Amino acid sequence: MKAGDVAYFRAQSVSDAVAAFRSCEGDARYLAGGQSLLAAMNLRLLTPDLLIDIAHIDALRGIERRGGEIRIGALTRHAEILSSPIIASHVPLLAAAAPWVAHPAIRNKGTIGGSIAFADPASEFPAVALALNARIELDNGDSVRFVEAQDFFLDLYETAAEPGEILSAVWFPVATPDQRCTFDELARRRGDYAIVGVAIVADFSGEIVDRIRIVFFSVGSTPVRALRAEAALTGTALVDTDIELAQQALAGDLSPSDDVQVSAATRMHLASVLLRRQLGKLPVPTPKAVRA
Amino acid sequence: MNILPGNMRFGTGQPVKRLEDQRLLTGLGHYLDDKPADGALWLVVLRSPHAHARIVAIDTQAAREMPGVTAVFTGADLVADDVGTLPTLPIFKRPDGSPMALPARRLLAHEVVRFVGEAVAAVVATSLDAARAAAEAIAVDYEVLPAVTDPSAAIQPGAPVVCSDAPDNIVAAMSYGDAAVVDAAFASAAHVVSLDIASQRLIPSAMEPRSTIAELDKSGRLTLHVQSQTPASTRDILADAILKRPKDSIVVRVGDIGGGFGQKTGLYPEDGLVAYAAVKLNRKVRWRGDRTDEFVGGTHGRDLTSTAAFALDAKGRVLAYRVSSLGGTGAYLAGAGVIIPLVLGPFVQTGVYDLPLVHFEIKAVMTHTAPVGAYRGAGRPEAVYIVERLMDAAARQLGIDPRAIRKANYIKPAQLPYTNAVGQVYDSGAFAHMMERASKLADWDGFAARKKAAKKKGLLYGRGLTSYIEWTGGRAHTEKVSLQATAEGRIVLHSGTQAMGQGLETTYSQMLAASLGIGMDKIDVVQGNTDLAQGFGSVGSRSLFVGGTAVAVSTVDLVAKAREKAASILEASVDDIEYADGVLTIAGTDRRISLFEIAAKEKGARLSVDSTGEVDGPSWPNGTHICEVEIDPDTGITKVVRYTTVDDVGVAVNPMLVSGQIHGGVAQGIGQALYEGATYDADGQLLTASYQDYCIPRADNMPAIEVTLDGSAPCKTNPLGAKGCGESGAIGGPPCIVHGVLDALAPLGITALNTPLTPEKVWRAIRDANAAQK
Repeated sequence: MKAGDVAYFRAQSVSDAVAAFRSCEGDARYLAGGQSLLAAMNLRLLTPDLLIDIAHIDALRGIERRGGEIRIGALTRHAEILSSPIIASHVPLLAAAAPWVAHPAIRNKGTIGGSIAFADPASEFPAVALALNARIELDNGDSVRFVEAQDFFLDLYETAAEPGEILSAVWFPVATPDQRCTFDELARRRGDYAIVGVAIVADFSGEIVDRIRIVFFSVGSTPVRALRAEAALTGTALVDTDIELAQQALAGDLSPSDDVQVSAATRMHLASVLLRRQLGKLPVPTPKAVRA
Repeated sequence: MNILPGNMRFGTGQPVKRLEDQRLLTGLGHYLDDKPADGALWLVVLRSPHAHARIVAIDTQAAREMPGVTAVFTGADLVADDVGTLPTLPIFKRPDGSPMALPARRLLAHEVVRFVGEAVAAVVATSLDAARAAAEAIAVDYEVLPAVTDPSAAIQPGAPVVCSDAPDNIVAAMSYGDAAVVDAAFASAAHVVSLDIASQRLIPSAMEPRSTIAELDKSGRLTLHVQSQTPASTRDILADAILKRPKDSIVVRVGDIGGGFGQKTGLYPEDGLVAYAAVKLNRKVRWRGDRTDEFVGGTHGRDLTSTAAFALDAKGRVLAYRVSSLGGTGAYLAGAGVIIPLVLGPFVQTGVYDLPLVHFEIKAVMTHTAPVGAYRGAGRPEAVYIVERLMDAAARQLGIDPRAIRKANYIKPAQLPYTNAVGQVYDSGAFAHMMERASKLADWDGFAARKKAAKKKGLLYGRGLTSYIEWTGGRAHTEKVSLQATAEGRIVLHSGTQAMGQGLETTYSQMLAASLGIGMDKIDVVQGNTDLAQGFGSVGSRSLFVGGTAVAVSTVDLVAKAREKAASILEASVDDIEYADGVLTIAGTDRRISLFEIAAKEKGARLSVDSTGEVDGPSWPNGTHICEVEIDPDTGITKVVRYTTVDDVGVAVNPMLVSGQIHGGVAQGIGQALYEGATYDADGQLLTASYQDYCIPRADNMPAIEVTLDGSAPCKTNPLGAKGCGESGAIGGPPCIVHGVLDALAPLGITALNTPLTPEKVWRAIRDANAAQK
């Protein structure tokens, strides 16, 4: 199948784009890298009347440190995230997730803003945003507001962005020296949509977990924090019995559903396996490293 | 049959790099969609969304009135124009002896649709977009009827019926062997091993989707540009069955093809529609299939469900062999559709083993699904899978080494030529030798250490072995070519075989170069034009051993003709004319004339021969594949870590190309074993209608495949000594991988799993086995 007829407008600025959105009488969509949107249109899952191309708005580009945060412009491509030294050193969880996003051809076109705004529950970056509780910058052409990731993903493909608002940047907190993270997913083949995936970030005091955030994706209509598992692990040294308790707690955190690929029960099991393995891989800081 | 000049046998055999590659890899190929727009009209097909429905009415008016639309056709229009139906061989009988039953396959459905994706209407418009938009504006009123998609369900009383002539949905049936004798042998056997087994339905994945262009010239002659592995039969079907016009009023032209795998044989409804529209409108018309067209509108492969059993003596010698199968044909019979389960499978149902006592029963069953046709191996992968799975299960059940049980049952060299239980004659083979060589090359004895290392990593580890055999040739044992020497100094071969990625241009050029003593750069291989060459085409791994035999004959004929011409020109006796390296010389003198100088004196400045090559029978490529797999018990993810083959393809003209064929076939075999499977829901919707849901392996899912070609048992039914090699890997691959997985799972008590062995299936089996052991 191919997409139906659609009008196209190339915006030169955010206000330009928002104006076009507001003046469209039908369904308008912002187009960035197009790696989800165009595929959905080709499958006729989405049939917008107007595409507003925001890919040429320079203000939406760039990766920079702003105080305790890294601001990543919405148009930053997955491939740029993969190769950015700033992200590698300051947002290592995002760097760890980037190689799992689809394939090189898609990573060369797809953008972080598009990925997070599209809010596909099987996507990697929304899960990372939730795990780090990134701040989502939304621009309506006149003003900018911020929504924390934990308030941003509302339902399947549904976010807290108001109609017409452009997701202009994502702000990630800079990783602290005593923070450790890990990311993994299981898919039928590398690059496919994950059957289940997990992003974990933990702050340690010595060998003890002070704070941990565990986010699963591809297990529901949004990325899902495993709050009970987090609680089970907080204050522990992640020994095997702690991990077992967290695995048991997971049943109360996740309620995946069946699909063509796998059953809910299998997904639940795989989530538990991923949790155990990734917690086991979480490099616990040595006391020396913590002091430094 | 020793007709070859000596250097044909010995001058080839080199791993020459493909002549095609520079052209194809730099974007200079001539694929169908590369053809310029040229003002052609675009045809788009509207497909049925229902698996089974009565067409109450089709309203095309809105579509006809849309901008750019030239014509809209429905099944009724084609019936009114006396457009014919796609033929099949009506040579089989139903179980009750009545003639085989099947619905007429029309280019567009008429009155009833029988599978999701069946073409219902066609729009022709000035642009592809206009045609697509108009197709969406066609309103079809369907009365949805109950559908059946599973052959086992389709033969149950009360199941929805695909064709009223077959109330039990059985198209036809075949039976081989003697049931009573086999039953008696089972009754008294020391051991009986039985399996329920299935080769699931697969969807072929050629890189290039099908596409077609048709145009009339000023004289009214029709040219059909199409991707066909069998250009001549495509022409004949179009002429005789569909358009009902003389064969010579049509020429079929084929350029480069991006993969065929058996799926691109004969004529598809879309091809017929494009030709019909071109004639009807007297305009150039083109159709380009997209992936959805391929998934729902192309033929599928496999779909064989069987119950099979061995009766064995105490030592593991098979005494009798029983198979009862249902072969799904889909809703209509694609050209060779019904032959695949009823005939081609049984040809190799006994594999490489001496199993004289058999009883095979096969029913070909219609369902409301896409038609099943040829797909790399067509019947042989399914059949070999059965005999190999049984052999492995017997080894396990009897506690015998999988090599030893095979050795006990292989056809021995002294038994060759060997007539198998269904009357097929194997001319050559060294089955035990291939297995022994493969086990050495696979480091059979090092397995235990590798397994131990894997266990340390928490992985299950298994080894699979399989010995396969393939019947080749498509029962078409002659091929015609024409070979010309031109005044310009070139050698031109016209062949009716059809390259679709195999590298035939390279192989034929190598043969001609070796035989004529002329550089490969002076040789042109021309295929894909039914005005220039007609033959059976490229199916059943026949191109080299049949088509190549014709090439070999043509070189002999050309040299003979050139010697006569030289004798006349040089005023000498033919017997005194010697040929070497393009030059004809009177023996013992310096009087000579070149092949090309002779051509210059000929009519049309070409010295030309039309030659026929004939082989004495099919060739029987065979071999042994051995793999090792590791399985993550927590996720069920299986990784093939070693894959070793020894393949008997007889004499290999170009070992590099043959190895490539084995690689590709094994890749598809791994796909069948671990990844691929077409899934229909109960309503007949294809759930796996895109690559998001239909999972084919990618490069990173492939192990390094170590191929060794063993030429120690050359084919005796053709002068090249060559055996077909195109399908071998797809036959050996699936049982080899499945045996590896089952070997890894055997310690848990798991003895059978049906393909594809997805991670979920494997993990569930492990979980259930662990639960049962507790």
